[in-house]
Amino acid sequence: MEAQRKFIVPIGPQHPALKEPGHFQFSVEGEIVTGATVRLGYVHRGIEKGAEARNWTQNLYLFERICGICSHVHATALALGAERLAGVEAPPRAQAIRTLMSELERIHSHMLWLGVAAHEGGFETLFMYSWRDREIVMDLLESLSGNRVNYSVNLIGGVKFDVTEKHHDEILKGIEILEERTKHYLKVVTTDRTFLARTRGVGLMTLQQAELFGAVGPTARASGVARDVRIDAPYEAYPQFPVRLVTDDGGDLLARFKVRTRELFESYRLIREILNHMPPGELTTRVPRRIPAGETISRVEAPRGELFYFIKSNGSEKPERIKVRTPSLCNWASVTQVAIGHKLADMPMILSGIDPCFSCNDRMVTINRGSSSQVWTWEELRRYGIEYYRQR
Amino acid sequence: MKIRLGTMFGDIIRSLFRRPATQLYPYERRPTPERLRGNLVWDPSKCTGCQLCIKDCPSDAIELIVLDKVAKKFVLRYHQDRCTYCAQCVVNCRFKCLNMDDQTWELASVNKEPFTVYYGKDEDVAFLLEKMARDNAGESGCPE
Repeated sequence: MEAQRKFIVPIGPQHPALKEPGHFQFSVEGEIVTGATVRLGYVHRGIEKGAEARNWTQNLYLFERICGICSHVHATALALGAERLAGVEAPPRAQAIRTLMSELERIHSHMLWLGVAAHEGGFETLFMYSWRDREIVMDLLESLSGNRVNYSVNLIGGVKFDVTEKHHDEILKGIEILEERTKHYLKVVTTDRTFLARTRGVGLMTLQQAELFGAVGPTARASGVARDVRIDAPYEAYPQFPVRLVTDDGGDLLARFKVRTRELFESYRLIREILNHMPPGELTTRVPRRIPAGETISRVEAPRGELFYFIKSNGSEKPERIKVRTPSLCNWASVTQVAIGHKLADMPMILSGIDPCFSCNDRMVTINRGSSSQVWTWEELRRYGIEYYRQR
Repeated sequence: MKIRLGTMFGDIIRSLFRRPATQLYPYERRPTPERLRGNLVWDPSKCTGCQLCIKDCPSDAIELIVLDKVAKKFVLRYHQDRCTYCAQCVVNCRFKCLNMDDQTWELASVNKEPFTVYYGKDEDVAFLLEKMARDNAGESGCPE
């Protein structure tokens, strides 16, 4: 009799395929993956709990550190929520600067992803050149804000710095070069035969599946889901500078490459428009240190998709509760489903196709099971422990 | 669109005739941008001791030591290694005593000591350091 045997290939938490810790188990039949599970939680940092011990301003910087790549959108989501609770709105110029930074950040994030995804596919040349060109936007961010990564642009009620005439020219010059390069990269990812062999038809997710798995951001848009917070619920300066939706019906990795690259062009267009129609005025507005009691939600479009904040204030200097749901978390379900039927060698590509960010995901969830709570004495706990290990 | 091989050969060949994109950092330095947020500097002459900078610091990187409140004698202890370079303190200061230097930004040392910087009038800093040395004289220091 042939025994039923199932081979499981464990990958992670430390592994060379992705640079962040996550544990994956792929059950395989020969080369083909028949099931996938993901386990997260290796980089849980207790940020939501930490928020309760800091005041609103300090929290801006704490939340900025949820993600090193999309740091600005996190601070923006928090600032927008806190401003809404306080009943104030940042001045139009501040809103425009926030939007400008968001779009510059999107460029830097998508360029980074392009490199990482190419690297996973073994296309090191594309990886190196796209990261070289990404330096242009990193330098722009540094020259605007003073920091390369965590720009700390936001204040509650405005922004810290202005965009001068000099920056205006610098940015226009920078994105002109980037636009040229992006055109080239779009051509590379859509015409390179070797690379197409790794992307075309791989990780196919239909529109129905994308809706079912709750995918967000470019991952969903690559399956034809017309969803973008910047369009559905415009915030900051997006009502004045509308975004054109970028979608693709392909649903495979190639479509994700196309969507993200075409989103770059949209960002370039938007940046030019913002710079040419920058509203004049103040950069900050006064916000009380104590934010009035209340609850609100705040949604922004991060480079990876919809970022959701729930903010609760009790009227003190510190927030009572801030709940964060990052876009990567929504996209994991799609990975574990889409992986089935593909070769094990395609797994790094499928994983990086959603542009995962591990440390943003990791939050603690306590599920309240109603009456199941019980209080044990030390002696009872000790006896339970002895019993538990005896049975093993 | 036509599918072909070696779509990036052109980039590679062009790069052969170009300068490297990287720089030999410690020997070759890029000029820093004007707004670079480097180390914090404090001007004691304008400080009123309101401590608003400390209140909003996300990483407890600054401490204001009050030597004499009436005579406005303060020493600012700045922990470079804790600082996140967010410039919130600079925004908070109403008297423009705080600034982020765009030239000094390198943080490399074999021990933690150089990361604690004292700012203030020379005599105040000397007084404070002497006092600290006196207070610690009786205790045995931590083994290195």
